Amino acid sequence: MFSPLVWLIALGPLALVAVACIPTPRSRSSAARVNRRAMSAGFFSLAVALATAVCVVVFGSLRTGTFGIEGIGLGLYLDSLSSAMFCLVSFIGLIVLAYSRNYMDGDPRQDRFTQYLSLTLAAVLLFIVSGNLLQLTLAWIATSLGLHKLLLFYADRPAAAIAARKKFIASRLGDLCLTGAMIFLYKTFGSLDYSVVFSGAGTIRAAGDFVPETIHVVAILLVFAALLKSAQFPTHGWLSEVMETPTPVSALLHAGIINAGGFLILRFSSVVSLSLPSLETLAIVGGFTALFGSVVMLTQTSIKVTLAYSTIAQMGFMMLECGLAAFPAALLHIIAHSLYKAHAFLSSGSVIDIARASWTPSPGGKPHPARQLFAVTGILIVALVLGRLFGASPTEQPGVFALGAVLLLGLIHLVSSGIDERPNVYVVGRTLLSAGTVGIAYFGLQLMMERVFAGSLPATQMLHGPFAVTIVSIVVVSFAVVTFLQGLVPGDGGTPRWQTLYALVSNGFYVNTFANRLVLRLWPPHVTASPATAPPNVGNR
Amino acid sequence: MSSRPDLVRESSSDQPNGAAPYERGVVEAAIAGACRRIAPLWPLKHFVAVNPFLGFTEQTFHATCATMHRVARVDMLMPRAFYRGELAAGNIEDRDLEAARKAAPGDWQAPATLRDLKAALALDVTDKAEHAAIVATVAEVLDSLAAGDRIASGTAFMTDEISKFCAAYFDEGQSIWRLPGRGLRPYAAWRTAMRYDRNPEVMGVVGFRTLVAGLSGDPVDAITEVIRRLGVPKRAIADYLHQALLDIGGWAAYARYLVWNDELYGRENDTLVQLLTIRVVWGYTLFAQRTDIAFAGAWRRAMEIAALPPLDERLGDDPELCLDLIAHEAYEAAYQRRFLALLAKPAESETRCGPKTVQAAFCIDVRSEIYRRALESVDPSVETVGFAGFFGFPIEYVPIGYRTGGAQCPVLLTPAFTVCEAVGDASRDEDKAILGLRLLRRRAAKAWKSFKTSAVSSFIFVETAGLLFAGKIVSDSLAVTRPVHDPDTDGLDPDVIGRLRPSIESHMVGGRRTGFDARERVAMAEAVLRAMSMTSDFGRLVLMTGHGSTTVNNPHASGLDCGACGGHTGEANARVAAAILNDSGVRVGLRERGIDVPDDTWFLGCLHDTTTDDIRIFDAQNAPASHRTLIAEIRETLARATSLTRLERATLLGIPNDADTQRRVVSRSRDWAQVRPEWGLAGNAAFIAAPRIRTRGIDFGGRAFLHDYDWRSDTDFTVLNLIMTAPMVVASWINLQYYGSTVNNRVFGSGNKVLHNVAGVLGVLEGNAGDLKVGLPWQSVHDGTRFVHEPLRLNVFIEAPLDALNAVIAKNAGVRELVDNRWLHLFAMSDDGHVSKRYRKDFRWDNVDDASVSG
Repeated sequence: MFSPLVWLIALGPLALVAVACIPTPRSRSSAARVNRRAMSAGFFSLAVALATAVCVVVFGSLRTGTFGIEGIGLGLYLDSLSSAMFCLVSFIGLIVLAYSRNYMDGDPRQDRFTQYLSLTLAAVLLFIVSGNLLQLTLAWIATSLGLHKLLLFYADRPAAAIAARKKFIASRLGDLCLTGAMIFLYKTFGSLDYSVVFSGAGTIRAAGDFVPETIHVVAILLVFAALLKSAQFPTHGWLSEVMETPTPVSALLHAGIINAGGFLILRFSSVVSLSLPSLETLAIVGGFTALFGSVVMLTQTSIKVTLAYSTIAQMGFMMLECGLAAFPAALLHIIAHSLYKAHAFLSSGSVIDIARASWTPSPGGKPHPARQLFAVTGILIVALVLGRLFGASPTEQPGVFALGAVLLLGLIHLVSSGIDERPNVYVVGRTLLSAGTVGIAYFGLQLMMERVFAGSLPATQMLHGPFAVTIVSIVVVSFAVVTFLQGLVPGDGGTPRWQTLYALVSNGFYVNTFANRLVLRLWPPHVTASPATAPPNVGNR
Repeated sequence: MSSRPDLVRESSSDQPNGAAPYERGVVEAAIAGACRRIAPLWPLKHFVAVNPFLGFTEQTFHATCATMHRVARVDMLMPRAFYRGELAAGNIEDRDLEAARKAAPGDWQAPATLRDLKAALALDVTDKAEHAAIVATVAEVLDSLAAGDRIASGTAFMTDEISKFCAAYFDEGQSIWRLPGRGLRPYAAWRTAMRYDRNPEVMGVVGFRTLVAGLSGDPVDAITEVIRRLGVPKRAIADYLHQALLDIGGWAAYARYLVWNDELYGRENDTLVQLLTIRVVWGYTLFAQRTDIAFAGAWRRAMEIAALPPLDERLGDDPELCLDLIAHEAYEAAYQRRFLALLAKPAESETRCGPKTVQAAFCIDVRSEIYRRALESVDPSVETVGFAGFFGFPIEYVPIGYRTGGAQCPVLLTPAFTVCEAVGDASRDEDKAILGLRLLRRRAAKAWKSFKTSAVSSFIFVETAGLLFAGKIVSDSLAVTRPVHDPDTDGLDPDVIGRLRPSIESHMVGGRRTGFDARERVAMAEAVLRAMSMTSDFGRLVLMTGHGSTTVNNPHASGLDCGACGGHTGEANARVAAAILNDSGVRVGLRERGIDVPDDTWFLGCLHDTTTDDIRIFDAQNAPASHRTLIAEIRETLARATSLTRLERATLLGIPNDADTQRRVVSRSRDWAQVRPEWGLAGNAAFIAAPRIRTRGIDFGGRAFLHDYDWRSDTDFTVLNLIMTAPMVVASWINLQYYGSTVNNRVFGSGNKVLHNVAGVLGVLEGNAGDLKVGLPWQSVHDGTRFVHEPLRLNVFIEAPLDALNAVIAKNAGVRELVDNRWLHLFAMSDDGHVSKRYRKDFRWDNVDDASVSG
């Protein structure tokens, strides 16, 4: 649908902008007032998002066209992809605003905190509903600046300053890439309006094999912008240091900030998927980050840093899915992970309860020696039978094969965990039931995503070429190695080889330390305050 | 790698003061001295209050202020502006200030007149007095050269690295891939880990691994070698080591807890020494980096200053500190003046007559004071009693499905009995089936958790189960669900949960004797009744009310539970006490020992939820039929007292007083975003051991520990001895924990709760890294506009003869340190309940000036 009425959608994010911009005198009642306003704006925004989603279902995509000159300007573009993200971000945003209301109570700058939250959220929303690359780029930069404010909410914390600087550098590089992509796109298509860009990309695809150079350049620039935004290796360091700022910010990251890179790729999937080298870059960097993050996560000793490395890994997996051109799967990953991880951060204070509840006396003895074997054989047999039934083969659809293999590895891990020291019918039975449910849920959800987002996202395609097969093989093999190796980690002691590996992994391959040293050398923050945040109003001599 | 820096320096480090090499004994003594100064930190699963100045009680409060200032550059008093504010608000009056000025010892060089004093206090401290005998560590000299920038100096990195190692070494279950070598002692494990860890070198600490490997594997030898190379003067070794420990004070405190626990059972534990060695060696690697002239000069000066003798007992050297001390004394005197006036109010006249029907015993916890007052006002016939909330039963309580449990007694004691959780009226077989099912469910849950948190499989978890969190996040936000299952009931069916109870039956479980046999029951029953001064005039119902809190998503949750029960809820202790006192065999045995509990008396175990102020009654179905109506009545009375208490507490929580108040108090306890679910023991300032009649009807505003005590029935003063060595000491620990967290939250508290990051499932970090944090969060003492806790040392009032008090003080060195060194104020009440004497020192008492009281 193409109508000026579509502009009304912008009222959602703009309400949040208003919260941030109304000046307030600093006082306790002002914090309450700002919170009330932010909650109303958050509710309003969510309502707009839901209404938009309904309209998209009924009328198809909603567009305003570009308000500007020569295809450069502002505009809204809401199809199934952006309206789903609009709902997701508004929803998590509202949850975070509600949480912060009590959580930040008593902080003398609570009103500012809420305002920064609202502003950042509004920027993300404007980024998502955007229909023009100029607006997208501006909102992208605004998001990063809003987050910068939040990261430095306690500006006297030296670690916060270093983290913010690392992120600042990565973000500005990302901005450059995105701006470059914008310029080249304009050169290619003569407009920054999505409709023009998408139909242009469609024409190229339809024309067949020849893809112009500039499209490759655009795609590569988009890919780098996305990788830099989503804390991919080696620019992931700042993400594990976000805990230098209040917990709600960590949750807010999952409302379209840390996964903005993924959304960017999905939004321009019609362009990016034209360029095989871009997809391959995504798969390589994403796949490596996924493994890196999830292995480093295993060694971390504090809840929030563990969660942060988990996010790094999950963002890597999302990029890998994009690289394998499994775009609907990547969108599912963004949505599901955001909901899960926002909850995990907000409830991170419950870790003591979890630890107490999950304590079990060791049944004694060693894990069953053949448990991996049982699990592997069982799952593979089931997979082969099912694969035969549906007729999938690794050489025809390497991308699908890779993701299917990861699913199998996950199920194998689940089943083999169920076969513990003293295998028991009840435990194994429950685990097999879980595994079955997981398998069905997986395929059901993937199918649903393909159907629902068929209009916005290219269906999972065939990757082709020898390089693609190589990448897929490496991904499958390395994921399998990690899955099985983590079961072999020695309980105690260990050979020098394990010790070296532990030192390497627990320090995140020393990448972050090196980054810190660089920042300290080249751009040292001069924070001489106490190392701990002196809580407000506590001035000791 | 460049040439080994330590070789370059070695020749230049000459022997200090030309003395002989450091003897092992001297160094060992210094190590022990430094370690003793660290107060323990209990892990979060049973977080109890600790006196942060525990290692300093052998010197006075005032001298400790000076020591802290000198050694650690840490303040232990409020900023001067705070006292000025109190003066301006009229909370401190001129007479308080004048009295404090006059009382100041001569060497404090107090201003000659009140006017001078006020003028001096009007100014903030601009230049700190240059203390003699400041002992600077390598870290500190580096910091001062970097103009206080701990990042640039590398000391922040050192703290992060040691903290990271400690979290990995002590981890109770956060990491899945655990630190190799955890089986070794900490220093050995660290040395092994550092053979492979290149992180310090990546950060620019040249030759780190070589330097570490070059030092002895024996902790004392390594420390001796380092201080020899540094040239630390002998006098200053203990101070140097103490100061070094403070850089990792949180982990040191946790290590001290491990030591404490072992010492309680008579075992040796050198974890803290090992940790100290790690810190000292780390500091040395930073020292070895600096061969520049600026550092060498600064270091030489630092060591010269360190060699001077310390003068902590002669406070006159720091007149600014003395001024602050006078202001603080005046602040406390003003509070005492108001409190004595409150106590002097004629207590309620004893008009109650006839047999009492209901007695309710509560924990001495200050939160009970509000409830007791409310209960007495709702039904004046109810008699309330204050007693330590573990009701004298030091038990280890083992929940279903566990092999061992937590010690539910004050941390000064070791549990004497083991009590298992059991399912009420279940047969052995059913019991076994329930236990088995819980374990199986947990094992299945463990497999699922492994799927959720492992590498690779976590991606599939997210894609299949992630969407479900849309519902979970909404229901948690609306407080319909709990973010995670309550660990106490996880894995049990709802109908079983309602039937759980502690089993006092004596039998063997897993090779350990649990429960109580007939003889033990009678002995325990007699002890608890005598300690409560409850030996006659029993009511028909006696409520034994323990307490606990209800909060969600709160790492410090157990800190709000009962300290007397070792950071657990008092439910098990109260139910055990009630069950034993109801035992017919026990009643017979008690009669033989001269305590006649009427057959018509029934004890009920109860739990006071301090967050919602609900009271739960347990095992009411076991009560005789004759008591049913009475129990129904008391339920109604308790409900009325609950809503009254909530109203009083709501004011402090900033909840407006309207129709919605009750609901809001309750919803706080379920709010996952709530950082102040309740105020805990904030505000605590007094401890009164006297019959309730002395205090009944007086509104202490939830700030007083009330312990029932009647010295007339305490013939040999064993109960007095017990009160002064256990509840009074625990109250003082709590009081000083709040004191520390208020005056200097950065050092003695755990900082900002919104940044808390649970490490190793045992403690919190503030933010991403840094040291483990001790004490209470800032949010627990401050409401955003003002401190809710007033930093006052505990004022203890005991109604007992002076001779008896003196005898207890003389007999217990720990008590004597507390009172003689001014860690608390001790007052004696005379026979008529009038506060007549105040303890000065060395068994001397001053008269309490009535004129100042009545004013």
